[in-house]
Amino acid sequence: MSGDFDAIVIGAGHNGLVAAARLAKEGKRVVVLETSPVVGGLLGGSDPVAAMPFGIHPKIHSGLGLARHGLRYGAPMKTLSLGGEGRVEIDGAVARGVSQAMAANYADLHRKLARYSGALARMLTKAPPRFRDGVVGDMLTMAQLGLSIRGLGKADMRDMLRIILSNVWDLCEDEIGDGPLAAALAMDATLGGGIGPRSPGTVLTLLYRMASTGSGGAGQRSTPVGGAAAVVSALVKAAETSGAAIRTSAPVARILVDDNDRAIGVALENGEEIRAPLILSNATPRRTLLDLLGPQHLNAEDVARLRHMATNGMVARLDLDLAELPAGLTEADLAHRIVVAGDMRQVERAFNAAKYGELPAVPAVEFTGRKTENGWRLAALAQFAPSDLKGGWSKAKKDRLAKSVIKVLDGAIPGFGGKITGAEVRSPTDLEATYGLTGGHWHHGELRIDQMLMMRPFAGAAQYRMPVAGLYLCGAGAHPGGDISGLPGWNAAGQAIKDGGAQ
Amino acid sequence: MNKALTPRPQMPMGVLKTPFHERMDAENFQQSWMNWNGYASPGVLDTAEFEYFAIRNQATLFDISPMCKFRIKGPDAEAVMNRMMTRDIRKQKPGRVSYVIWCDEDGNVVDDGTLFRRSEDEFLLFCQEPQLLWIKDVAWGFDVEATEVTHDLAGFAFQGPTTAATLRDLKIRDVEEMRAFDIRDIKIAGKRVMISRTGFTGDLGYELVMAPKDALAVWDAVYAAGQRRGARIIGNEALEMARIEAGFLLPRVDFISSQTNLRVNRARTPYEIGLDWLVTFDKPHFNGKRALQRLAGVAPKRKLFAIEISRDKAAHHALVYHRKTREVGFVTSALWSATTKRNIAYAWLEAPFGQIEKDDLWVEIYLQREIEWQRRMERVQIVERPFFVHKRRTATPPLNF
Ligand SMILES: Cc1cc2nc3c(=O)[nH]c(=O)nc-3n(C[C@H](O)[C@H](O)[C@H](O)COP(=O)(O)OP(=O)(O)OC[C@H]3O[C@@H](n4cnc5c(N)ncnc54)[C@H](O)[C@@H]3O)c2cc1C
Repeated sequence: MSGDFDAIVIGAGHNGLVAAARLAKEGKRVVVLETSPVVGGLLGGSDPVAAMPFGIHPKIHSGLGLARHGLRYGAPMKTLSLGGEGRVEIDGAVARGVSQAMAANYADLHRKLARYSGALARMLTKAPPRFRDGVVGDMLTMAQLGLSIRGLGKADMRDMLRIILSNVWDLCEDEIGDGPLAAALAMDATLGGGIGPRSPGTVLTLLYRMASTGSGGAGQRSTPVGGAAAVVSALVKAAETSGAAIRTSAPVARILVDDNDRAIGVALENGEEIRAPLILSNATPRRTLLDLLGPQHLNAEDVARLRHMATNGMVARLDLDLAELPAGLTEADLAHRIVVAGDMRQVERAFNAAKYGELPAVPAVEFTGRKTENGWRLAALAQFAPSDLKGGWSKAKKDRLAKSVIKVLDGAIPGFGGKITGAEVRSPTDLEATYGLTGGHWHHGELRIDQMLMMRPFAGAAQYRMPVAGLYLCGAGAHPGGDISGLPGWNAAGQAIKDGGAQ
Repeated sequence: MNKALTPRPQMPMGVLKTPFHERMDAENFQQSWMNWNGYASPGVLDTAEFEYFAIRNQATLFDISPMCKFRIKGPDAEAVMNRMMTRDIRKQKPGRVSYVIWCDEDGNVVDDGTLFRRSEDEFLLFCQEPQLLWIKDVAWGFDVEATEVTHDLAGFAFQGPTTAATLRDLKIRDVEEMRAFDIRDIKIAGKRVMISRTGFTGDLGYELVMAPKDALAVWDAVYAAGQRRGARIIGNEALEMARIEAGFLLPRVDFISSQTNLRVNRARTPYEIGLDWLVTFDKPHFNGKRALQRLAGVAPKRKLFAIEISRDKAAHHALVYHRKTREVGFVTSALWSATTKRNIAYAWLEAPFGQIEKDDLWVEIYLQREIEWQRRMERVQIVERPFFVHKRRTATPPLNF
């Protein structure tokens, strides 16, 4: 078979679907090939791994007409921070359940961070300039970011530059003080990453998360009505109505390259070959380049960069079944995202253990919940659960983690432990095995200053365009990175169209 | 004495001695030693001129044991070498040597060396700079084992017109059939030796490699047999003269390896160095290929040229001028070549000089005459490399001299 399609998208994660929909809308004949029997990647299935999806970026929402395909957003999800003294409720810039002074300071801080993240947000919707050829390129790149920071005005600009590479711990200590409120911010800043609140660069990751959110405004998570399933179904419809074909249970084994150094198609694991002059991969950078493409098509320097990319997943997913809700937790509470960390110190301590490949005695937890036939099911994320756990992951280790998570929740929510009827743990290595997720990492690769912007997925790479002509990266490993936004897929498809990849 | 406080010897201290050290030391009347890759290597033993003329008229032994040496072995050895080098290694048959360069992702030269194909699945690479980590990076994901054998192999270059005759005297029959760049496994003094018809002198010559424990026996046999034909031990200074004549370039002297340059824009491409004849695109992806394909289509910003200079003063460290006024380049290696009777050098020239603009080029030579300095402008002519290569380098069977 030759010239079957104009474009092949490897992987039906939300980014792959966005890319496919955009290409199909441009008139390309597109096929999406997905390993798993369901679409959506980490958003897929009845109990999606990403239980609290953000909204798709507004630009994509309108660009793909997702409203027409039934995607709507509810009010931004509020956060409830437990585990300390009292219950703290966070709604954007408003914090309840803390002293008046803290609430006022927090409001100031939030407004400030929202302004800064706005300056950063402008960098997310375009392909960042290349970071290459030494000094001149770097300066230009930095100058661009500098310009949008300058737009903030002199005082803000100075302050932003002062804090951006510092850590969220110091920022919160200086501006609001430690406690459940600061703990929730610390969770936002570190979620999914191999970083603790005291790690340098965590103000940047916090701003980054605030910047990458949708229509709810900076720092506000606009959440899709109907959750992950609604996002996936709207994206599938957008892709299919434009003519894209989606094939599930079709794992790609290899990317085919011709003698002229062009990607020309893929081979599935069953040996079937499908041809197209344009290939976009939603798989992680390492899987795409080292496994599917192969080191023989890469320079040794890029192979080394890929090998050394930071990709240690740090989050485990727990599904907890409860026969009924304990006294300390109401149905209304479950409309929130609930953080149980007490204070930043607890988050940092949990990271300390994981940093050395151990399970934390007291993990930091966040969860949501929903009603099931037999009671309640909570989807919890436990930080930090290192993929490179000493001695490897085992049933015993998972049991230990489950126990410690339940203990943390029991401490914050009286009577919680007694209601548990079942617990299932998915470690980062489980996620790696199921989703081809390198290291089980949330963002397909650590989101930190040396793997961000023009250095994503790694310094020297051209962001979306991969070394072999016709091959593009369109998943969370590409700029602007992970979480649900659709931007990597959108930008990658845009780049491919601009390059005229598919004639 | 407290045992815990006694330092344990872990690494040899100071400059190391090669397996041939005793023999070289005994004849090193100047006691001039250089540090080559951590080993003591003779600069000059007697006088550089005597040693140089021995290369051109007799036979010479030069210790190459300090050279960096690597073994690449395994089912993917050919694929890995082909992926590293700019030449098509698939065409290199077992038992053959080739001169190779390899490049980084930007198409800058990392190093050059000689690649010995020992069998279908085994290569030896000899070069100037430590390269084990580089080779391992290139080999990642391939079924091959790369090891450093610098200290496990001793060797010496046996170069000069009377070398073949000496080897005949030693009853080495392979000499008759060995063409340039051939490798044979032979025995000398009962010891196993890998001999190749290779060298850095542009003349008839061989390189002999053996286990360090056999080194002296082999050396002694060759040296003794060579006495009838004027064999002598030489040092770096004499070899340097011969290597400039023979058209070979030296990393760190004529160009900077892209692994060692500190300043941006100091690394050099094969097109700039004039080694583009070693680059072929008619093979699968190799390191730097994409960058080299881009570079192949454009005139280099600067280029290394072989130049010939009027009169007889070597142009060491000289600057090159256009119309005696505009500075356009500089000399890296220079020599009054006694064999060719030419004043020769290598020089870097900024484009378009040397490439389009070939006339009215001058070097500024400084001469010290009993403390006082004199300055001379001498005319420069762009010429071809090498300055010297003798027919007997490749004549097979080699003649007796
Ligand atoms: C435990 C956990 C919880 C998370 N929770 C949230 C959350 O609550 N909110 C949020 O916004 N983000 C969350 N994230 C992050 C978010 O899920 C990811 O950043 C996002 O899913 C990345 O989307 P993607 O489309 O780029 O890739 P993915 O969703 O990873 O999709 C990649 C797809 O490619 C497929 N694939 C891979 N290799 C092949 C192949 N060879 N052939 C065919 N198909 C292939 C995979 O099967 C998969 O379907 C979470 C991440 C983790 C790990």
